[in-house]
Amino acid sequence: MKLSPFTKTYEGRQVLDFPGMELKKGTIYAVIGANGSGKSTFAKIVSGILKADRGGCPVSGGTVGYLPQKHYAFRMTTKANLLLNGKSEARACELMDALQLRHLEAKRADRLSGGETARMALARLMMNRYDLVLLDEPTAAMDMETTLLSEQRIARYVQETGCTLILVTHSLQQARRLAGEVWYFHRGKLLESGAADQVLSHPEQPQTRQFLDFYGI
Amino acid sequence: MKTSLIKAIELILSADAELLNILSVTAEMSLKSSVLALLIGLPIGIWLGACRFPGRGMVLVVNRTLQGMPPVVCGLLFYMLFSGVGPFRHLKLLFTVKIMVMAQVVLITPIVVNAMESYVAGVAPSVRETARGLGLGGVKTFGLLCNECVYQIISAYLLAFARSIAEVGAVSMVGGAISWKTNVMTTAIMQHTNRGSFSLGIALGLILLTISLIVNTVISLLQRRLSR
Repeated sequence: MKLSPFTKTYEGRQVLDFPGMELKKGTIYAVIGANGSGKSTFAKIVSGILKADRGGCPVSGGTVGYLPQKHYAFRMTTKANLLLNGKSEARACELMDALQLRHLEAKRADRLSGGETARMALARLMMNRYDLVLLDEPTAAMDMETTLLSEQRIARYVQETGCTLILVTHSLQQARRLAGEVWYFHRGKLLESGAADQVLSHPEQPQTRQFLDFYGI
Repeated sequence: MKTSLIKAIELILSADAELLNILSVTAEMSLKSSVLALLIGLPIGIWLGACRFPGRGMVLVVNRTLQGMPPVVCGLLFYMLFSGVGPFRHLKLLFTVKIMVMAQVVLITPIVVNAMESYVAGVAPSVRETARGLGLGGVKTFGLLCNECVYQIISAYLLAFARSIAEVGAVSMVGGAISWKTNVMTTAIMQHTNRGSFSLGIALGLILLTISLIVNTVISLLQRRLSR
């Protein structure tokens, strides 16, 4: 799978300039960067929610699944929310078990707590198979225990479906735990990319080093 | 005052024929107009809330202006259109319940549009983004959006009904407040008060207040449910 180059301009100011990238099947890419570096805009454009300046969706072929930063729970039970995205009750039960949602299956999803909603939204997305999955800060509202549980399930999902996963995250620890490759965005540009260990431990660009130092890596 | 109140309660308990007729005409007008306003206003409100297009702001301003239109202006407009010198005089609708319903629809549809637009505008982006992220189709997304609006739809309907049942200016102008034909609760209260016959007016006022209390209780319960 390939991501074509694209740019995004808001009110005459270019906020994103992505050079394009070949994606490997079964790989998790972590997108890191400071606030306003264009990570979420990147995810929205790749998922087709936002349009790039020119051309259509930058993804050539294949299905795309996207979990937005703001998790939305439809006004129905947790289980019904999951079944919106797939028919298999067994899979819904397995995902609810894995993400500690089973006891909430009959509860109205719009009445779940922030962390519970985040897990429900993640489980709902994983009900289906996609060629490319984008997760925008999927564990931001979760505590450490459920974050680790969710990460395990995400890694398993990639293994079992063979999809490519792009994870937008603020957590460098999460990037280190999950990602095979890391992309560092700086002021709307992909400044550095490569294997996770290389980018996180031996960055080439001074801005990447500065960013990692600031976050204590 | 005390005697009128006792007589009013007696009128209600004895199911007075004129009182029942007024209630029946009021129910017919209010139910028909609020259902029609819902059928017209609901898709327009959802469309305005969910879609962005050039001129949308202007449409919203026009709708808000219509929402604030004085009922007597609406009544005057319909009177001019359907009276003996108006372009639609051949339809012979003046002083009928039908024209009262039409005038009410013009008055209360903007209320439904506004109530739906403001709610849908708040919820639609998240619904659309989530549904698109899951890869759901347009029809399913629209169904989900409607499902998210269920309580708001009921609330908008009740608002429209409450406005319809309590309106007096337009219906008295186009309906003429003819006894046993187009007299509704509000116009009958005015009529009987002018005649110095307070008991029927008080009876109708009590019923109107009770209906208003029920409608508002349901709306506040729904709003509490919505805010959870």
